[in-house]
Amino acid sequence: MSILLDHDTRVIVQGITGTQGRVEAEISKNYGTHIVAGVTPGRGGENIAGIPVYDTVKEALDRHGADASLIFVPPLLVKDAVLEALDAGIRLLVGTAEDVPQHDVAIVIAAVRKVGARLVGFNTNGVISPGKARMGGLGGLDPDEVYAPGRIGLCSRSGGMCAEIGIALKQAGLGNSTAVAMGGDRITGLPMVEYVRLFEADPETDAIVLFGEPGTDNEGGVALHLRANRIRKPIVAMIAGAFQEKYPRGLSFGHAAAIIRADGESATDKKKMLADAGVLIADTLEEIPVLLKKALGH
Amino acid sequence: MIPLTEDKTKALLRANGLPVPKGRACASPAEVAEASRLLGGAVVIKALVATGRRGKSGAVRSVSSPPEAAAAASALLGTEIGGLETNAIYVEERIAIAEELYLSFVLDGFPPKVLLSRHGGVEIEETRKQDPDAVIVADLEPLAGIQAWEAVALWKRAGVSGAALSKLGHVTRQLFQVFQAADAITLELNPLALDVEGKPVIVGAMMAIDDSSLPRQSHLLEDLGSGTSTKHGRNPREQMVYDANYRMPGGMIRYTELEGDIGLIVCGGGAGLYQHDLILGLGGRLANHSDQNGINVAKLKVLVTAVLENPRVRGLLVGANHQQMTRTDRKVQAVIEVLRERGTDATRFPIVIRMFGPHEEKARALAAEIPGVHYLPRDASMADACRLIVELTAKAGDVQGQST
Repeated sequence: MSILLDHDTRVIVQGITGTQGRVEAEISKNYGTHIVAGVTPGRGGENIAGIPVYDTVKEALDRHGADASLIFVPPLLVKDAVLEALDAGIRLLVGTAEDVPQHDVAIVIAAVRKVGARLVGFNTNGVISPGKARMGGLGGLDPDEVYAPGRIGLCSRSGGMCAEIGIALKQAGLGNSTAVAMGGDRITGLPMVEYVRLFEADPETDAIVLFGEPGTDNEGGVALHLRANRIRKPIVAMIAGAFQEKYPRGLSFGHAAAIIRADGESATDKKKMLADAGVLIADTLEEIPVLLKKALGH
Repeated sequence: MIPLTEDKTKALLRANGLPVPKGRACASPAEVAEASRLLGGAVVIKALVATGRRGKSGAVRSVSSPPEAAAAASALLGTEIGGLETNAIYVEERIAIAEELYLSFVLDGFPPKVLLSRHGGVEIEETRKQDPDAVIVADLEPLAGIQAWEAVALWKRAGVSGAALSKLGHVTRQLFQVFQAADAITLELNPLALDVEGKPVIVGAMMAIDDSSLPRQSHLLEDLGSGTSTKHGRNPREQMVYDANYRMPGGMIRYTELEGDIGLIVCGGGAGLYQHDLILGLGGRLANHSDQNGINVAKLKVLVTAVLENPRVRGLLVGANHQQMTRTDRKVQAVIEVLRERGTDATRFPIVIRMFGPHEEKARALAAEIPGVHYLPRDASMADACRLIVELTAKAGDVQGQST
């Protein structure tokens, strides 16, 4: 097993005719991802790397059936792409677009939650279950260079750090059951704690690595969950961005935002909350595999 | 986040049929006197700066004649309020206010929220401190928005009763629509006044627009004469980057200037945070923080230029995480072109590049054209890159110290 995605997941690619969509669909297909169709309005009937293209998600699903959609639609149009996929019955979405207007994000998240679907992203490099399948650009042109198959679950707020951690694990002889870049925006489709829950339930995951950043209550949510349910698998977390606490607070979010914005969002606060909940804290990339091996008794 | 000044916010609200007092922006005491005459003499004079703390700073004054208005304007023009210089004055008709309420919408996480209170005209943080129950905070459903009757129920909870409720319900619904349509991150109406007949009038209004929406809201900012004219304390480098986002397509570039001497160009927000931590941990001090995505070379060059224009900068780290789908040659090209245009001597001004990924060979060939650039080998970690730039910049600083 793995989480979210494996050999059998049937995937469509929305925005497959764009440069990024085309390249990534082909690499992911060659990697083993079961990509059944692509969708770009107005481009139905074309063929990209052996993948048939349709005008609408519904047409693609009527012909091929699919569980998941990988979405390479640009930021201002991606809201409609997600709503279309949900309407057609897709329940796992990976949205790569960066700088999606916040109101669109809010609408998308409300729609996704309403039907109980899962959105990875936005602003994500996607998900990879090494040796099986991937959705998105994690691992780049040669995923094997970055990710080895293994039994460590990885969830990162940053796509780039998701790769750096994959490499650090691989160099230490470890590998990933699934690695997911959950997206770096303030609002994401799924909070970090949902990925932790999925990894906890996955029989092929022995331990979990988290990469976090200042801002949002993602890590706080994980800490709460762990305190309420006890740690079931070792978790190593790295939280970057403590430097921000050394500078005067730059951005003012106005009165109203200050009221609704909770405390505990600094890197230091997060490390403390997680450590108190039993999570092992790594300060550098190099410490991550060391802590994992120790916790797993290697 | 792009804060709009009060005149822009109110122009937008007025255009959407909301009840806003008559007013106009003026640049000189003479214009203020003329505007106050047109508005009936008894007016309110406000420093036109995009900050919400004007009342407290004495930047809002009530006057009863054009000469008084001109005098108040003279006193305000040029003063600094909340760190911003007052370059313009907003003159507004004075409304007979029976009650001052507070209303705001905020999108900062999910879901968006509405805050309302019977106590307006003061800072909402103060109200909350004195009596937490006096501020109602409610979640909003982004798909459906807020219905007038839901707003009525909220205002009732806040303690409002009587004839005002119905109109408040409608105004609240309309304001949320503007909040969404204008891609606002915050919209604060303070005070949202009730006149003597119980009709809502928007006396105070502040709004900030989501940066990500610039590509579809730039027309709005332009139509409104651009709320971005106030410089919000940006220095020329920061302004240059800000303007590039406003003008040029491609991913966002971000630049924040700091007090140190190591210039930082990173690819990837997480990698930027991590390397910043590492450099401080190694005793280095950064001249800036930055972020960028996309491969629009012209736009990346603006960021590189800003970093190198900073008079404090003594070294440069181009530190990327393992680039997965992004062309590294485009990123490196932007750096190299700027170095060449500026005639930077990389044997004296240390430059460290850690950039692995697609089209790396070409990236390396480009970097090799400038003697002295340290392009790290493939097995180098981010920590290696940070160690090297800290060491080299310290050395370069020593040499400079000796020669002067």
